[in-house]
Amino acid sequence: MTVAPLRQAALPTARAIRWVPLVGVSALVLLVLLVARTSQRPVDLVLAVASAALACAVVGALHDPAALLLAAAPVSVMRRRLLRLTLVLLPALVVWGVLASVSHASPGATSPGPLLALAAAGVAVAVWTPAEPGVLVGASVPVVWFALDMTVPGSGLLSDAAGWWRTAPQAVVAVALVALLAGRRR
Amino acid sequence: MSAVARALPRTRPRARTRAVVRSLALAESRRMLRNPVLWACTGLSVWMMWSVVPTPDEWPGASYEEMATCAVPLLFAVSVVAAVSFNRERLDVAADAPVTEVQRCVGRWVGALPLLAVAAGYAALLAWRQRDLGGLWLGTEPGRTTEALFTAGELVQPVVLALLAVSTGAALGRRLPLVSALPLLFVLWFLVAFYWLFGAAAVVPLSILQVQPVRVFAGTPYADPLRFPSQWLLEAPGEFSEQWSRVVVSAGLSWWHAVWLLGLSALWGAVTVPRGRARRWLVAAGSVLAVVGVVAQYWVLP
Repeated sequence: MTVAPLRQAALPTARAIRWVPLVGVSALVLLVLLVARTSQRPVDLVLAVASAALACAVVGALHDPAALLLAAAPVSVMRRRLLRLTLVLLPALVVWGVLASVSHASPGATSPGPLLALAAAGVAVAVWTPAEPGVLVGASVPVVWFALDMTVPGSGLLSDAAGWWRTAPQAVVAVALVALLAGRRR
Repeated sequence: MSAVARALPRTRPRARTRAVVRSLALAESRRMLRNPVLWACTGLSVWMMWSVVPTPDEWPGASYEEMATCAVPLLFAVSVVAAVSFNRERLDVAADAPVTEVQRCVGRWVGALPLLAVAAGYAALLAWRQRDLGGLWLGTEPGRTTEALFTAGELVQPVVLALLAVSTGAALGRRLPLVSALPLLFVLWFLVAFYWLFGAAAVVPLSILQVQPVRVFAGTPYADPLRFPSQWLLEAPGEFSEQWSRVVVSAGLSWWHAVWLLGLSALWGAVTVPRGRARRWLVAAGSVLAVVGVVAQYWVLP
């Protein structure tokens, strides 16, 4: 019943999505990874930055300038969000695969888990934040979480929590999915 | 009987234009300086700078190099704050609004100048901190110093980078929604922090954040370091280098790098101004500065 309108909306939605962030982030990281191949230096951290930036771009794709206009359409906001996320997440994962294959990072750093964890957390925050700054706040989550992970010193709960997107991505995705299910009518 | 609205004069007195720009600049700078992201990231940069203390078992020159990268959170924040300001220009304004787009653009640019003052304050603190520590360590025995200080060119770099951060943030904020500009600014500034990726001689002049010293071949791994000139700072063969290297800090390289950054700033700045003479002038000046800066850096590269 609801798949058909979404299928019809896929192409116009894909055209309406701003692809500049995803393309720009991918190009910048790819350029840096190609430069890194000449220097034989560790690039795990570059991939960590890439996962945060790609997650940020994925959440940012929820920004719909026509949201108010489409509010009256018989397709729920959450379904429209899922359509946008599907359209952006698939290319983002392809980009991630390309970046991982180009880099000579350690096997643990090439897993897409951290990317999915940061994106899921950002989407959950975007859904639960009031409409106006929601997407912007959600898109800031991957950046802020990454920055906290880089800066919180020592060991302890705060330090562990700052690294959960890397160390326990499945748990983060699960919690974010529960939050999304709980907020499916928002 | 009909009332006829009088058209606004196309040219306005210069004094009134200045007053409008001054008011806009004051309002913009007040809003920029009140942004908490700026002060949170400035605090982070200062904390990172303070936590750099040279230790005997550090990677040779690690503290010297790390000090240069501590400015990255501040630069990211400057970009974000500028992007937020210029993003407001995306709201449609009536074509015959009493303040033209050029005046609004100049007002925002002048309003962003205090951000450069914040960066200058950070650079001054950096210089003071290095002297407070008694200098940083460079090189390995027998060619080593424990009193290395940033040259003036290296200290100027955070200020010029702040100008580049303003122009980059302004360009992206002016042309894209904030949710699109944010990931680009993030990835840009955090990738430039990986300075070791841009350490090869072919790439050093094109880097954004230039971290010195530069390594120059001094001898094979079997060379006797005691036979090198005594004034040379040296780096021993190690994990990432299979040779004895001479460690060189070039003031000329820093200054020409600042010229390259000024060129990039002008090119990004051209994206923020409306089409016309100002944009053409900025593109021309930026291109010339960038090319001169890069060529001169290759010229003076040790």
